[in-house]
Amino acid sequence: MEMIKVENLKKSFGNIEVLKDISLNVDKGDVIAILGPSGSGKSTFLRSLIDLVEIDGGSIYIEGEALCENAVYPHAKEKRRILAKTGMVFQHFNLFPHKNVRDNLLLAPMLKKQGTRDELNKKAMDILEKVGLVEKINEMPKNLSGGQKQRVAIARALMCDPDILLFDEPTSALDPELTGEVLNVIRDLSKEKMTMLIVTHEIGFAREAANKVLFMDGGYVLGFGTPEEIIDSNENTRIKNFFAKMTY
Amino acid sequence: MAVGCLLTLKLFIITIVLSMPLGLVLTFLYTSKNKALNKVVAFYILIMRGTPLLLQIFFVYFGLPYTPIIGKYLTISDRFTAGAVAFILNYAAYFAEIFRGGLLSVDKGQYEAAKVLGLTDMQTRFKIVLPQMFRISLPAVSNEAIILIKDTALITAIGLSDLLKVTKTIVNKTTNISAFLVAAIFYLIMSYVLTIVFRLLEKKFAF
Repeated sequence: MEMIKVENLKKSFGNIEVLKDISLNVDKGDVIAILGPSGSGKSTFLRSLIDLVEIDGGSIYIEGEALCENAVYPHAKEKRRILAKTGMVFQHFNLFPHKNVRDNLLLAPMLKKQGTRDELNKKAMDILEKVGLVEKINEMPKNLSGGQKQRVAIARALMCDPDILLFDEPTSALDPELTGEVLNVIRDLSKEKMTMLIVTHEIGFAREAANKVLFMDGGYVLGFGTPEEIIDSNENTRIKNFFAKMTY
Repeated sequence: MAVGCLLTLKLFIITIVLSMPLGLVLTFLYTSKNKALNKVVAFYILIMRGTPLLLQIFFVYFGLPYTPIIGKYLTISDRFTAGAVAFILNYAAYFAEIFRGGLLSVDKGQYEAAKVLGLTDMQTRFKIVLPQMFRISLPAVSNEAIILIKDTALITAIGLSDLLKVTKTIVNKTTNISAFLVAAIFYLIMSYVLTIVFRLLEKKFAF
């Protein structure tokens, strides 16, 4: 069964058609880098998979269940159930600024009654250990560096035991010397067979950590295949030109 | 003079305690998806901010009883209650605007983060948005509270003896202006205490 299945997805903002006809199957453990020029619809596509963008046409299935079928959505509670195993990490982290690291991690699972405070506390420690931030558990977000904030954001998403993680330009707001620590965490997750979709401009990272690359342009998927097929030896002139212009 | 101080304090506390929650409710209605409700609240705020508080105090005490048909149910015979009602209705409008500003300042990324973590709209509102809205609103709320402590003097208009009224009587009686000085110091101390309290709150909830 596919982790995510997208059929003929369409999305417009006003008169502008941003996503024109997207179909995609994502298998378990896939790490898919979504590449393409600005304005190609990468982020909109990613956001539609977790219901931050409501689509106008087509269907989205998450682990076999319909988040949206022919542009018809179930009610909010049903959507929450279907998306319970899906998490997302944002470009600007979106940590809760009024809560310390611990409470950022505990808030959602506590509200969803996914364990006692003690259990969740222990889980938070384990996950922070994994992203190398145990000693920051009582810090407020404003006292963390960008790279640390993003690692806390990933930890927060992991608290809900996701099967699928979506990353929307996770390193674009970071100083270059801080991107490494975030990419390392994503790399570790890929070793644990986490299914991930990553909108990124880090071609080097896509080549090395992703098993598939999705190339988008003008609201269409122009290419979907292994990093070698898409980045190194593609016959499509549009794709070739894009990578020829990248300095990496 | 102590009696006047007490009345001023009482009016201040009652107004603050009741107008803030009412303002919050107005903010919710103002920003809700119901267009009709938005308009009603917008009109309410226009009236409350667009006419003098003094007029509103007169209206609640002297005017409401003359309302056709339902006038007798709207009569508030106790001067203090009538004055407090006017203050609460007026300040709620200002607080509603302050909270609306705070609400607009909460980053939309916060709503998105809450949603992808599986929070319901209610949980998002009460656990994520409101705490940040209050924090953002604090300096403006502090400002409003300091204005209120001095506005309380308007209640003299319906014959109540607040601090200022008592002071004036003393000055008339004694032909000595030192009572004015005492009143000024009282208002100053109140404002100063409020400033300190809000500074502490800002520090405590800094993020």
